[in-house]
Amino acid sequence: VAAYAGKLTRNHHHILFIIIIFFTRGSSKMEDACDLYGRAANMFKMAKNWSASGNAFSQAALLHLQMQSKHDAATNFIDAGNAFKKSDPQEAINCLNRAIEIYTDMGRFTIAAKHHVTIAEIYETELVDIDKAIAHFEQAADYYKGEESTSSANKCLLKVATYAAQLEQYPKAIEIYEQVATHAMDSTLLKYSAKDYFFKAALCHFCVDMLNAKLAVQKYEEMFPAFSDSRECKLVKKLLDAFEEQNLDAYTDAVKEYDTISRLDQWLTTMLLRIKKSLQDDESDLR
Amino acid sequence: MSSDFEAYEQDFGTLTAEITNKIGRIPKLAGEEKTQLVLNVDKQLEEVRELLEQMDLEIREIPIQSRGMYNSRLKSYKQEMEKLEKDFKRSRIAYSDEVRNELLGDDGSSSESQRAHLLDNTERLERSSRRLEAGYQIAVETEQVGQEILSNLHSDREKIQRSRDRLRETDANLGKSSRILTGMLRRIIQNRILVFILGAILFLTIVLAIYFNLRGH
Repeated sequence: VAAYAGKLTRNHHHILFIIIIFFTRGSSKMEDACDLYGRAANMFKMAKNWSASGNAFSQAALLHLQMQSKHDAATNFIDAGNAFKKSDPQEAINCLNRAIEIYTDMGRFTIAAKHHVTIAEIYETELVDIDKAIAHFEQAADYYKGEESTSSANKCLLKVATYAAQLEQYPKAIEIYEQVATHAMDSTLLKYSAKDYFFKAALCHFCVDMLNAKLAVQKYEEMFPAFSDSRECKLVKKLLDAFEEQNLDAYTDAVKEYDTISRLDQWLTTMLLRIKKSLQDDESDLR
Repeated sequence: MSSDFEAYEQDFGTLTAEITNKIGRIPKLAGEEKTQLVLNVDKQLEEVRELLEQMDLEIREIPIQSRGMYNSRLKSYKQEMEKLEKDFKRSRIAYSDEVRNELLGDDGSSSESQRAHLLDNTERLERSSRRLEAGYQIAVETEQVGQEILSNLHSDREKIQRSRDRLRETDANLGKSSRILTGMLRRIIQNRILVFILGAILFLTIVLAIYFNLRGH
């Protein structure tokens, strides 16, 4: 039966294959059926038929669940999710969610967190649903924290903060950046990235309110003396001065000067533009 | 008296002017004309020296009170003459511009070459400053790349530590399971020995029973 089924799958006679499986049900037959489903799915993958492959993997996973072998079920769900990623993102997310349920049941939070990250990335790129992506990243960070892998947790938190700041949820972003920066300050490996995080936190403060930004910068300088030497800190101070004097040109000049040395990336440009707009509004208000 | 002195001063003035003129011309000339001019200037310098001596004599005849002014004037004239003599000496051995040009090729006027020189320098300075900036940019980029690498290393380190801990746990578990298995094996062997012993005892009892039965008959 196995060889016959294998030959059939190569010709995409998927339905006939399933009928054969149904007829050979029995407990040891179930294991064979799972095995066959797995091989069928791999052959679909070779033929680049992603949705069929994903379906085959999910079937295999369901059978494993019936046989109470949760590990195998979860692995098959993950394979299904990977296959669906290329054709149907929503279906992939469903499979991955089921796999995560199984893993959290078993207590394997690290792997669950890893897959939360995968789901969040799918939401980021293919389905562009930023809120759900943030939710998944947060969940992943919580699991990572629970498993004491702070660096992976910080990676996820940083993504949350970037998106939160873009969506104008400034308090959350500020809290995350400060937390990550204080943690980075102490580690020998990470202290060179700490100034970057302080800079981003200061910018978020700036978007909210200028006075906050000033206090924040002072606080950061106290906490982390090396921060005051960095170009980023000098830029923030220049921007603060320009803001106080309501001088739009000084602001633009300072930003341009920073840009000539190291290009401003997308996120930074957006934030600086928001601050500039608020500066312009203030100016027009006073007039 | 003072009119004589003033007459001498005027002569001095004209003579020095002529001498300066001729000294200016000497480097440009060559050969016969030069020697002529040199002799001329020599004679005029002699005349100037005689004039100065006469001025000196004149001053001595003036009453002491008014001598101061004339004395200072005389001193300045003497200094002028010394300067002229020095110039004269230098001019006799100096090279003129034209001779230089003949040797080195016609440069054009010197101000032109100076300007080109300055422009060249400015350009070199600009090039170096541009290169410095580019170097600074590269340094900043390198720093950013370094930051990323460091954070990757950090997370990798945590993963490795976790795997190592899990490995140790697995090792301990494997040890435990192997001990359990050996325990099971031992019990199986014990059971089998017991079975054999019991079987042997049964066999013996049966054999003895048959034997006694046969003996009884």
